[in-house]
Amino acid sequence: MEESIYGTYKESMEKIMQTLVEELEKKNNLIFQETGEKGYEHITARLKSDQSMRKKLLSKKLPIDTYHALRSLRDSIGLRIICSFRDDVYNMVDELKQMPEVEVIEEKDYIKKAKENGYRSYHMILEMTVPYEDVDGNLPGKYYVEIQLRTIAMDTWAELEHKIRYKKDVANREVIASELKRCADELASCDLSMQTIRDLIR
Amino acid sequence: MKILLAEDEVDLSRALVAILSHNGYEVTAVYDGEAAVEEAKSKAFDCMVFDIMMPKKDGIQALTEIRAGGDNTPALFLTAKAEMDDKILGLNAGADDYLTKPFAMQELLARLRSLMRRSNAYHSDQITVGNLVLNTSEQELKSQNAVRLAGPETKLMEILMRNPNKEFTTEELFEKVWKDEQENKDIVWVYISYLRTKLVAVSADLEIIGEEKKSFCLRLK
Repeated sequence: MEESIYGTYKESMEKIMQTLVEELEKKNNLIFQETGEKGYEHITARLKSDQSMRKKLLSKKLPIDTYHALRSLRDSIGLRIICSFRDDVYNMVDELKQMPEVEVIEEKDYIKKAKENGYRSYHMILEMTVPYEDVDGNLPGKYYVEIQLRTIAMDTWAELEHKIRYKKDVANREVIASELKRCADELASCDLSMQTIRDLIR
Repeated sequence: MKILLAEDEVDLSRALVAILSHNGYEVTAVYDGEAAVEEAKSKAFDCMVFDIMMPKKDGIQALTEIRAGGDNTPALFLTAKAEMDDKILGLNAGADDYLTKPFAMQELLARLRSLMRRSNAYHSDQITVGNLVLNTSEQELKSQNAVRLAGPETKLMEILMRNPNKEFTTEELFEKVWKDEQENKDIVWVYISYLRTKLVAVSADLEIIGEEKKSFCLRLK
């Protein structure tokens, strides 16, 4: 079997991912105890597969090795946090910023300003300080984690759009693209209405 | 239905107010062109009836100014002059119809009904206020970001955007948007709240001011 692109660091990365998910679950329980509502609905976590990582390094014309997988690219460890309401997304962003051993390297608010195709999500790159050696030989080490936060509605759109996007031989590509954008803007509108209703009855 | 009447002959004005009120219209009477412009800027009307010869500003100047501000309220000129030139000037200034004095009251009433019936057809489906664009046929509200509105949200936003800086009571908005529906007036506050959230979400430089059950007004932040 071919050696992992992450080399000997793969095990640490899995632990980092697992620990972060557990920390967030604890946080979610605390929020539920305090407010009676969950901070988020669910989390999915993944290490970027060997194949995708190699493909991405190749497409960025970077050397295909462990160092560049962990340093030049910053999404080898990825978490997706799915929330019920729009405000929950921003509350979770604040929660993440307050976590010890976390430094926010980059933030992109594609909710406030959706991508051209209608995609909405809040993206963050975190630099985590962890009790494992990193690819530079530091201990404690530093690892990048990419976090995507969004509502159930935004997630639904992203999942469905992803399934349609890669279909080949679509006849009216432009019509399909503008209809997908329209769906995204309708879902966003519903999200905002649901948020407003929650605010009105609180 | 609200009518703005600008007529400097006090007796005629009084008679018109009486008859229009009797026919269910709410009439705001002014006596010169300048006052007409001021009223049109601060309140929303369903129709405007202007005399041409008036002090301070004549009816044509007043309407030209009102139209330049983006106000498409249907307008009718009442004029003593029967000359062709005045009719053309008036229509070119943005009037939708005219009546030459003396006229039969029944004809004025019929023309007003006709104007208000057709008023929606005059409107383009894209309205811009500040950095915000509403496309009423697409139901799209767009600034830095875009959302698609539901039917009643679009209607409500359209009324507010066609009349920026003008106040509407909860009752007026309810009448205009939900007239034929089985809803109660509390729905107005819910939809105002939706639109407020959505104005923020698209990063519009506008806000809707006003409190629950009271009056609302769209204005620049």
